[in-house]
Amino acid sequence: MSAEATAYLTIFLMAAVTYGTRIAGAELMTLFRITSRVDAFLKSMAISVMVAIVASAIAQSGFRENTATLVAAAVMAATRSSIGAVTAGMLVAAAWTWLA
Amino acid sequence: MLNSETANVRLTMAGVVRGVKSLGPISLFVIPFGIAFGAAAIERGVTPDQSIVMSLTVFSAAAQFAALDFWNGPLPAISLLLTVLAVGTRHILMGATLAPWLNRLSRPKRLLALSVLSDANFADSYDAFRRDERDVGRLVGGGLALCICWIIGSTIGVIAGASLGNLGRFGIDVVMVSFFAAIAVGQWEGLSDVLPSVVAAAVAVLGLIFLPPGWNIVLAALAGGIAGVLWHER
Repeated sequence: MSAEATAYLTIFLMAAVTYGTRIAGAELMTLFRITSRVDAFLKSMAISVMVAIVASAIAQSGFRENTATLVAAAVMAATRSSIGAVTAGMLVAAAWTWLA
Repeated sequence: MLNSETANVRLTMAGVVRGVKSLGPISLFVIPFGIAFGAAAIERGVTPDQSIVMSLTVFSAAAQFAALDFWNGPLPAISLLLTVLAVGTRHILMGATLAPWLNRLSRPKRLLALSVLSDANFADSYDAFRRDERDVGRLVGGGLALCICWIIGSTIGVIAGASLGNLGRFGIDVVMVSFFAAIAVGQWEGLSDVLPSVVAAAVAVLGLIFLPPGWNIVLAALAGGIAGVLWHER
């Protein structure tokens, strides 16, 4: 197979694997009845995904990025606006870079 | 989940428009990530056409950046595909979380809607479904906005990436983590979220040391889910 064909085969397989992960969760859940226990699991898992992404990023980032993240969380708590929170986080990070 | 909370779920164009409006502004911030991907892909020897086709069909920043690490070896490598699977596993969890609403749709509609499932439109539509949204178009519209911006960014990156320099000086690098932090705060319901969150954060951070990339988030989400069940049944 030519290098070009191999590359496209790889991209196609990547797309297939990723699409498989996108549809698998809902398909699996057709097999379960949503009891209050399953509901508690799903709700906790939802917030856990977000917290895990943020915690993982914080552990791998510096003071600048983490201050920005903290400010975004604080603005969200105060205003309930995710756009406002993201804008505030960006402003902190940009200002930090310009002033440093 | 009460039946009334998931009754009358539908997929309409009006919902798609709401999704585009809700995630449009955040989606614009995906463009710089796309530029970074396009530039990195060219640097790794992926051709411009291949890079753009990859963004169009895979549509996953995590999977695509991870794949670049393998690109100079023999293709298609099993290790590459396993890594793509690992970073994609959180989609399975997000799909399961949205299942109470999604599974009210016919299977063809569901399979179509889920083709654009991503972190940001998951967060947005889960939040909306928890309130009063009943239209899966919300997920689709957000996903389309993200996907279009991802492709625009990738294309710019492929063409001009090397000449744009470091985008971090505009604070763009913190957009996604700020967004997820904001959504986590927005979803916070009180005491019942404390244990899952602490467990998830601890597992995610420890997992960075012991696990291959991506698996720490999956393990943290499962551990947080189990913690939630234990709290629920204490």
